[in-house]
Amino acid sequence: MTVRGRRLAAILILAALPGWAPQSALSPAGDEAERIALLSWILFVGATAILLIVIAALALAIRGAEPVRRVIGSEGAIRWGGIVFPSVVLTLLLGYGLWLMRETIAAQTTPALRIAVTGEQWWWRVHYQRDGAAPVREANEIRIPVGREIDFALRSNDVIHSFWVPSLGGKLDMIPGRTNTLRLKAERPGIYRGQCAEYCGGPHALMALEIVAVPEAEFQAWLAAADARNEPAEPKVAAGEKLFLSTGCGACHAVRGTQAAGMVGPDLSRVGGRRFLAAATLRNTAENLAGFMTDPQVAKPGALMPPFAIFTSEEMDALTAYLGSLR
Amino acid sequence: MQPLAHARRTAAWLLAAPSRVLVAAISALVLVLAGAVLFAWSGVYNVAASTGHFRVVDHFLRFGMENSVRARAPSTSLPPGIDESLVRLGAGHFHAGCAYCHGSPGTPISPVAASMLPPPPILTERVGRWSDGELFWIVKHGLKYAGMPGFPSLHRDDEIWAVIAFLRRLPSLDRPGYRALALGEVEPEPQRGMDVATGQSEPDAIGACARCHGARQGPPSRLVPILHGQPAAMLENALRAYAKGERDSGVMQTAAIGLPDSTVRHLAAYYASLPRPPASIETSDQAAAARGEAIARDGVPSHGVPSCLGCHGQSAAPGYPHLAGQPARYLEGQLAVWRKGLNDRSATGRIMAPIARRLSEAQSRDLAAYFASLAAPREAPR
Repeated sequence: MTVRGRRLAAILILAALPGWAPQSALSPAGDEAERIALLSWILFVGATAILLIVIAALALAIRGAEPVRRVIGSEGAIRWGGIVFPSVVLTLLLGYGLWLMRETIAAQTTPALRIAVTGEQWWWRVHYQRDGAAPVREANEIRIPVGREIDFALRSNDVIHSFWVPSLGGKLDMIPGRTNTLRLKAERPGIYRGQCAEYCGGPHALMALEIVAVPEAEFQAWLAAADARNEPAEPKVAAGEKLFLSTGCGACHAVRGTQAAGMVGPDLSRVGGRRFLAAATLRNTAENLAGFMTDPQVAKPGALMPPFAIFTSEEMDALTAYLGSLR
Repeated sequence: MQPLAHARRTAAWLLAAPSRVLVAAISALVLVLAGAVLFAWSGVYNVAASTGHFRVVDHFLRFGMENSVRARAPSTSLPPGIDESLVRLGAGHFHAGCAYCHGSPGTPISPVAASMLPPPPILTERVGRWSDGELFWIVKHGLKYAGMPGFPSLHRDDEIWAVIAFLRRLPSLDRPGYRALALGEVEPEPQRGMDVATGQSEPDAIGACARCHGARQGPPSRLVPILHGQPAAMLENALRAYAKGERDSGVMQTAAIGLPDSTVRHLAAYYASLPRPPASIETSDQAAAARGEAIARDGVPSHGVPSCLGCHGQSAAPGYPHLAGQPARYLEGQLAVWRKGLNDRSATGRIMAPIARRLSEAQSRDLAAYFASLAAPREAPR
């Protein structure tokens, strides 16, 4: 099999395994996604049935016995089959769809947790709102507690993006100057992949995110640990921190508890604990981190970060050790 | 009358059909080309520069050159008024790049250069014949077959205009006046223990950095950066980037090319060790400096511009320049060069390039005003 053939087969197999895929509207893990999946299945099955009926009618109209053909060709058949039937089916579907989506549209109750997600070219700025404290800033990987309704306040700082985590719910656009709110809930722990679903320029296809759903207690502990500052113990890590601060990384990237307070690029306070780098584009390894810093255009063509090809390999080691230690 | 009648008959026969005319024209062309090749192959033509041109050929070549320059030159001219910084920068480059062939006030054209064909003109007498735009075009592009080279960097029109500003001053200069402009604080006569940077061992200190950048004092031109007390690593990187053509500057490429590695290191260490000259802090535009300070401290996050001080503050890595106390015009000029998309080939240049391109002209002006208004620390960093 050719490479392309193998790739196609892999895609087909992935599509046929909805329960396994981390990014699939057919493997719902939340109320909203379940409703969408149910409606999708009704549409698929219903459309297939109607298509079969139409094909059968066509075959009978061409090859059928004379009386059958006369019935199919009559004005009555057109009135009932061509006008009444579609009107009734579509009206029922619309009504059912609106009824099914009533909770998505009218969410009046205020949930306990509100997470602001702002679309940026080409990553996600994440703020956890806290009562009486500064919001916790994160990026590209969103931790949520399982079983709780969460309001995502969706905004954009540049162009229109769209926030879509298929396993948890429908997509909602992020529009500059507007806040759209999307309520999602994860029913079981897991990792749900999302993707920007509105073309937003250059590396739009590489603007992905992961929602990591963890038990409530674990989530609260993780959120509470945000302000904890662990002084670098290892000399290599300390050297990395010094480099991070002196070579200007902190002018774009913030690390809580240090002088690095840049608001241009993703917050790196806990970058070491993330599964992926560059908006769910690269596995979080020291090698990938070094490669991305040296030339971001290789992994993510169009990315706005300048290339830092100024480090010796020892310096790069120290830097990646430091970033890896930020958890 | 026999031959004339014969020719007339032949002409009538040729012109009778278009195909015959075509064949005749092609044959004539082939004959001319063959003659030209034969002429070149035979070596009859004397290419000696020493013999000069026939007077008529000389007039014809000059006629063609002058018309070509006039047809191509831009109509722009120098801004009115005297801009001492521009003249000083132009003088610095003239001494390194032009004086050898064209001579300078008090120093005649070298007999070697004078034996070129055409001999390089004594500019004092000639520059008055050309408009600013025409001089600019000649300095930028040079003249084919005349030995006049184009400018080393075709992207730095600002540097070429500095040379033109100096050329306008040139006719009024005597020897001391010229040397004050071109050599600055460098006085090449006495033979004391001279170090590399001031280049005082060379006859006319062509390569002396201090002619433009100063050593005991600061640079005489506001278009030239103050190198005193800058990190040595940054100075080395900059010199290597200029030498490799990774940074665009006709002036600095001319100065930095061919410097041996040890010289680069000595030079960088020398300037890094110098105390900052008692510079005149620029405090002309307080409002602009205040706007610039906001950008330098916080950046413009909505436009992807980080804080400048992250890399250019006093605690930054030694690969980056300190900007405090640099002349505003130099900073503004460099930011304009970045915005034009130049300087983006060295390792540190590739970091700065995308950031500088996100700045507007007004923001660049404010930033330059801010950094120029800062007092640099007086003591030299270790």
